[in-house]
Amino acid sequence: MSLLSRKTIVIGGGALLLFFLPLVAKLTGQPYLLSLGSRILIYALAAVSLDLLLGYSGMISLGHAAFVGIGAYVVGISQFHSYEATPFLSAPFLLSGSENGLFVLPLAILVAAFAALIIGALCLRTTGMHFIMITLAFAQMLYYFFISLEKYGGDDGLSLYARNSFPGIDLSDDRHFYYLCLTALGLFLLFTCRLVTSRFGLIIRGAGNNDRRLKGLGIRSTSYKLVTFVIAGGGAGLAGALLANQTEYVSPGLMHWTLSGELMVMVLLGGLGTLFGPVLGAAAFLLLEEGLAMYTEHWMVYMGPVLILAVVFAKRGLFGLLAGGNSRDD
Amino acid sequence: MLLVIEQLLNGLQLGITLFLMSAGLTLVFGIMQVINLAHGSFYMIGAYVGATVAAKTGSFLLAIPAALGAAALVGAVVEIVILRHLYKREHLDQVLATFGLIMFFNELTLMIWGRQPLFMDVPGPLAQSIEILPGLPYPVYRLAVIGVGLFVALALWLLFAKTRAGMKIRAGASNRDMIGALGVNINLLYTLVFSLGALLAGLAGVMAGPVLAVQSGMGESILILTFVVIVIGGIGSIRGAVAGALLVGLVDTLGRAFLPVLLRLVLESSAADSLAASLASMAIYILMAAILVWKPRGLFPAHA
Amino acid sequence: MTDAILTVTTLCKSFGAVQATNDLSFTVRRNDIHALIGPNGAGKTTVVNQLSGDMLPDSGTILFNGVNISRKKAYQRARLGIGRSFQITHIFENLTVAENMSLAICAHSGHNFRFLQHFRRSPPVLRELAKALARVDLLPRAELPASHLSHGEKRQLEVGMAMVGNPELLILDEPMAGMGPGGTAELSKLIRRLKGTLTILLIEHDMDVVFSLADRVTVLVYGENMATGTPDEIRRNTKVRAAYLGEES
Repeated sequence: MSLLSRKTIVIGGGALLLFFLPLVAKLTGQPYLLSLGSRILIYALAAVSLDLLLGYSGMISLGHAAFVGIGAYVVGISQFHSYEATPFLSAPFLLSGSENGLFVLPLAILVAAFAALIIGALCLRTTGMHFIMITLAFAQMLYYFFISLEKYGGDDGLSLYARNSFPGIDLSDDRHFYYLCLTALGLFLLFTCRLVTSRFGLIIRGAGNNDRRLKGLGIRSTSYKLVTFVIAGGGAGLAGALLANQTEYVSPGLMHWTLSGELMVMVLLGGLGTLFGPVLGAAAFLLLEEGLAMYTEHWMVYMGPVLILAVVFAKRGLFGLLAGGNSRDD
Repeated sequence: MLLVIEQLLNGLQLGITLFLMSAGLTLVFGIMQVINLAHGSFYMIGAYVGATVAAKTGSFLLAIPAALGAAALVGAVVEIVILRHLYKREHLDQVLATFGLIMFFNELTLMIWGRQPLFMDVPGPLAQSIEILPGLPYPVYRLAVIGVGLFVALALWLLFAKTRAGMKIRAGASNRDMIGALGVNINLLYTLVFSLGALLAGLAGVMAGPVLAVQSGMGESILILTFVVIVIGGIGSIRGAVAGALLVGLVDTLGRAFLPVLLRLVLESSAADSLAASLASMAIYILMAAILVWKPRGLFPAHA
Repeated sequence: MTDAILTVTTLCKSFGAVQATNDLSFTVRRNDIHALIGPNGAGKTTVVNQLSGDMLPDSGTILFNGVNISRKKAYQRARLGIGRSFQITHIFENLTVAENMSLAICAHSGHNFRFLQHFRRSPPVLRELAKALARVDLLPRAELPASHLSHGEKRQLEVGMAMVGNPELLILDEPMAGMGPGGTAELSKLIRRLKGTLTILLIEHDMDVVFSLADRVTVLVYGENMATGTPDEIRRNTKVRAAYLGEES
């Protein structure tokens, strides 16, 4: 019981901190905290979605950034066409550009999820090391694909003219944008927490733990894994769409495999299979990056060994340290 | 026609580089069951050390052994200090730890050599072209690279097919329990195999030096192509590495050279060019997806 | 033979030059505890794998309730009513006991694309979990991670999971392997309690266990059926004594 309450305290404290961060930023006169906060929330969203794959269903995807990139490009391309007043598609149906967030954000989720459906269906023909390499290869394929898309800036990417419009709120106001990100992360966490304790979640946790045994029970896990892959892809797509809005810029670099690797690092640092851990991991990673970058431009030369040590010695991650005991699930 | 032959040779050259990378890596995957993302770092180290020695001494002949030695040494150290502790761990741990290694090595080369890419001169006698067919001049250096690659492939084949040590390694790659049964010092064998893989990657790196810019992060683009090769060929199979490397080298090179020409036959030229550019950059991944649908474990799966 | 639940006829399986299952035929009667015994290397596990569908025979037929299942996949056989426990314990170590059991329950309750309701509140789990745990005496251990269970308790869990969905035939592959005397007695008690409610095919080394539990025994030597009969008949069979029991006693 005391463990449970400790976990609740950590989560509740974190939520309060995130909720009042804009106030802190205003009082301390550090508006820069807001944009850092938004970045943390967005990366956290992507990391939570990756945790569904790594921590629960045992799918080690090294290509998760592809879906972040797709989500971002949906925002970028959609706005490009809206600005140019040219349709994106004229056949088989008319699809014109838009900069309305209520339309573009769901579209980003759907497109990323659809891409995850196709890539996942191919990747799930394999397991183990093959799966890792193939997810990486597909992400790289998309990376090169977007580099070759001269129309949308190719290697240089696309600059947004402004953030998406949203009825009732003004996303160009950093505070409004921050709360949009916080809401998105909160809703996604709520959804994933329900998901992993549902019957569906039980199956994917079983698949992540011992896939052969699951087959012995008469359950073929492939379709469950594929749906998980699609959900995770959709979550990453949402993160990408928010990221595009935050930086007002999209580029193939978002799909680069180093971003996939960094998302993985966030999940591990925070705590594998904990959902809330990756939020902590994203915060720790980005703060560490900012902090180290202040002292040396070569911060990665320290981050690398830190990561290796974390892998070898601290498997439970930060969330495990803070929340203690059996923080995995509830 | 001459253009086709020239591009075939270019494809062969890329294939050879990929073979050098994937031969070592596929053995590491097959025997130690460890996924090593840092293999590209050995390639980069080979290129950097080779370029530095060549610049300091002016001798390409000194650069090669220096690059091979450095890559093999770093490989052995990495195996002993880090990877050895990860053999029994999950793939995820291996991925993350070797990702940490990449961060470390990439940044370390930036600290030592700076952000400016190094350029390596093609060694003197090889710096010219010869006419391999009437009307088709081809750089001697590229021919030499192909020659070295074929020589290494032959040497590896002899090592694995004809020597006791090689047979043990091969047995280990297709059936891990065999190694213990054969009474081999596993730790030593693992270090040697890993180091050999690193050495081959270093060789690929130093040979790529005069063709490409030597810069931090150069290992990763070749690493991902290497993964494609291994997925296509089948993990742990040298034969698969040969087939996969040649296939990927040829498809990538020929796709880039001829897709625009082919598409212009059916499409107007601007649409053809942009489509061809997209298709060519994705060709090998499409190839990989197709082979996966057909044979999920690769063309020559070692663990049948 | 109207009461036969499983009829194996001229089953053959070879691995290269090794004939692991050699023209094997035997019949299991409904609601019996039928033991399959044999010296090490007799090919018992190969037979089990062919019955459960983890391996396909080279030739021969397996009739289950009159249906030829010899070419069916493992999950199809599971749905037809064959439950199996493994020689090496095979549970989800990272999940709790209740989650392990719930997985087995969900496996028998249609599709599992239910995303929001907690699995503990889903109708089949509500209906069966407590009963299934109680059946193998694991109710008090329900919230422990399975990795914290003792060896014997893991076996109990595994048997319990194999019994979910009320299989008509339960295959227990060396359930006593690696257990101390206390665990063996506990599990024997459990198996005896199940007697009569379903058919059990018991693969076992421990002769005391076999002779105290089984209604009928098949002796497997070099992949062949050397003898089938009641424990008494098997004890008296001179061929069996020479080939097998002689070594034991």
